Amino acid sequence: MKTRKMTALVTSALAGLLMCGQASAADLKIGIMVPTTGSEATAGKDMENSIKLAADEINKAGGVLGMNIVTVTGDDGCDPQMATAAASKLVSSDVVGVVGGYCSGATLPTLKIYGDAGTPFVVAAANSTKLIDANPGTSFQINSTGFDQVNSAVSLFQDKGIKKLAIVHQGDGYSEDLAKLTKEKWTTMGHEVVAYEVVNKGEQDQSSLVTKIKSKAPDAVFWTAYYSDGALLIKQLRQAGFRKLIAVGDGSNSPKLLEIAGKAAEGVFCFSNPTAEYLPAAKNYTASYKTNYNQAPDAYGPLAYDGMKLMADAINRAGSIDKAAIVKALKETNAFNGITGAVSFTDKNTLAKSNFVVLVAKGGKWTLNN
Amino acid sequence: MSTLDIILQQLANGLILGSFYALVALGYTMVYGIIKLLNFAHGDLYMVGGFVGFLILSAISGLLGESWAAIVCSMVLSMLAVGLLGVIIQRVAYRPMLQAPRLSILITALAVSMILSNGVMAITDGEYLAFNTDLSFDGLDFGNVFISYTQLALVVSASLLMVILYLFVNKTLYGKAMRAIAIDQDACKLMGINVNRIIAMTFFIGSSLAAAAGVMAGVYYGSLHFSMGFVIGLKAFTAAVIGGIGSIPGAMLGGLVLGLLEAFGTQIPFVGSEWKDVFSFGLLILLLILKPTGILGKTEIERM
Repeated sequence: MKTRKMTALVTSALAGLLMCGQASAADLKIGIMVPTTGSEATAGKDMENSIKLAADEINKAGGVLGMNIVTVTGDDGCDPQMATAAASKLVSSDVVGVVGGYCSGATLPTLKIYGDAGTPFVVAAANSTKLIDANPGTSFQINSTGFDQVNSAVSLFQDKGIKKLAIVHQGDGYSEDLAKLTKEKWTTMGHEVVAYEVVNKGEQDQSSLVTKIKSKAPDAVFWTAYYSDGALLIKQLRQAGFRKLIAVGDGSNSPKLLEIAGKAAEGVFCFSNPTAEYLPAAKNYTASYKTNYNQAPDAYGPLAYDGMKLMADAINRAGSIDKAAIVKALKETNAFNGITGAVSFTDKNTLAKSNFVVLVAKGGKWTLNN
Repeated sequence: MSTLDIILQQLANGLILGSFYALVALGYTMVYGIIKLLNFAHGDLYMVGGFVGFLILSAISGLLGESWAAIVCSMVLSMLAVGLLGVIIQRVAYRPMLQAPRLSILITALAVSMILSNGVMAITDGEYLAFNTDLSFDGLDFGNVFISYTQLALVVSASLLMVILYLFVNKTLYGKAMRAIAIDQDACKLMGINVNRIIAMTFFIGSSLAAAAGVMAGVYYGSLHFSMGFVIGLKAFTAAVIGGIGSIPGAMLGGLVLGLLEAFGTQIPFVGSEWKDVFSFGLLILLLILKPTGILGKTEIERM
């Protein structure tokens, strides 16, 4: 008797398992590629949360083509090697499309992998101009590229009457690209770049560099890399008595920068894609992010959220989960109404209309600069 | 800024950075001197020290405010806590391996390093912690050369710790025992020295010095991250080798030399600041070729 009961139990358990398997056949697999470990894990997790939030909302509203979205996360660790492994993992787990991409340096080598598999990839945050040339046609950048940011930066410096500029980057794809383009633009406009320097990632002491920058007497310092080391540079510049303008690129757009640099960050300018708090359309997103994750969304959350929504929208418009059809639908996106603004693409699959804003640190908070 | 100003300011920068390197290098050198182990977990103890200091400071700042007294207090407590952690690591991970081949214990040290840094990563969720004490930016201003009081306090406390250590190793009975073990462990056992206890003590001192540097770094730079021990560990190791690994004055000297090299390496004309590490590690390679024992290292067996 006992044995028979056991058999029955095992059979029903197996049946249950099989049914689960069948249910998942109606699932739509979307890959998320962000850094969930390493130095940029905070931003990566924020993007992952936002993408999952968007997927949940879509599922609650009936899914895509009657299918439920399930997400698979590949951790790119903000590292090109890890990213390649993550991309291969996503491709081999048969995802229909991928949303993510935070560090440009790590995103760059993955474009080919997705391209070879024909997998559509919505690049939510990474915005180095190198990504444009490496795009095999299946990737779509929904963040404004470095070119747009360079224009914002240069016009701010001109407005502030800057003549001599110091630029500091970190030697990675994103920050070096932004630094180089700014330098080119600034010198073609007839101004001077008096210092063009590099900070090694993870090195806390930048005092010798600060002394070197100070000795060149620039009117402004432009930091093009990420917030963690940027906060240290700002603090040490101010500590050493540098009182002139400091501006940071969009990778430094984080409340953490203000927290680490403390009062030294007061008055620092930041170029940024529009974050949730400056977007009227993002109210609902911010509210549900807070209820779901007990914290406010970080800088790239809204873009990641839009990325997932755009992917779902494209699949709906394609009317099938055929990858080529989705790529075609993405390409034909016409003023997709995201919370970060209207999304349409140029013939190079970059955002047709820039979404950069200038922020300034006031009272320990980023506020819109007028 | 005139050239002289730049030189003086870089001298100050180099000495401040060098005192961090020296404090951490001491731990490397002491452990190597006594059991011939390159303790790769040492940089991580620096990191753990910073975090423990942060925890203690946030706990006691209610009582003492974010004052100098609170900072000194949290530094001392963090030194004790991380010193104990060092002893535990030595007891659990290294002591069973002392008779094993040198490579096995080296790999154990790498494992301990990973456990520490990934453990802190798991606890802190990989986040940067802002260690914001909002110390004033005031300091001594000599025209274009500026040294803040915080920087002065750092150099003074680092030097104080090093002087105490020097006196301890050279003037006390325990110090004598440490030096003796460095020469011949078996002979020490025969002479009735409790070798294990002295080794544990060495780990305690080395780890607490790293913790002191970690708390100082937290207070001075204002941020903590689980990966912060990696770069400084590498640099401090370089400093220890430059000075002559196993030699305590060598570690102090090596730290200062490396700090100064980096400060002036940034300033080398025609090349960018990214070359400073090329210069310092280039010197390391040169030194290893010309004088493998380091500046103060001796070719004989005595190493403490």
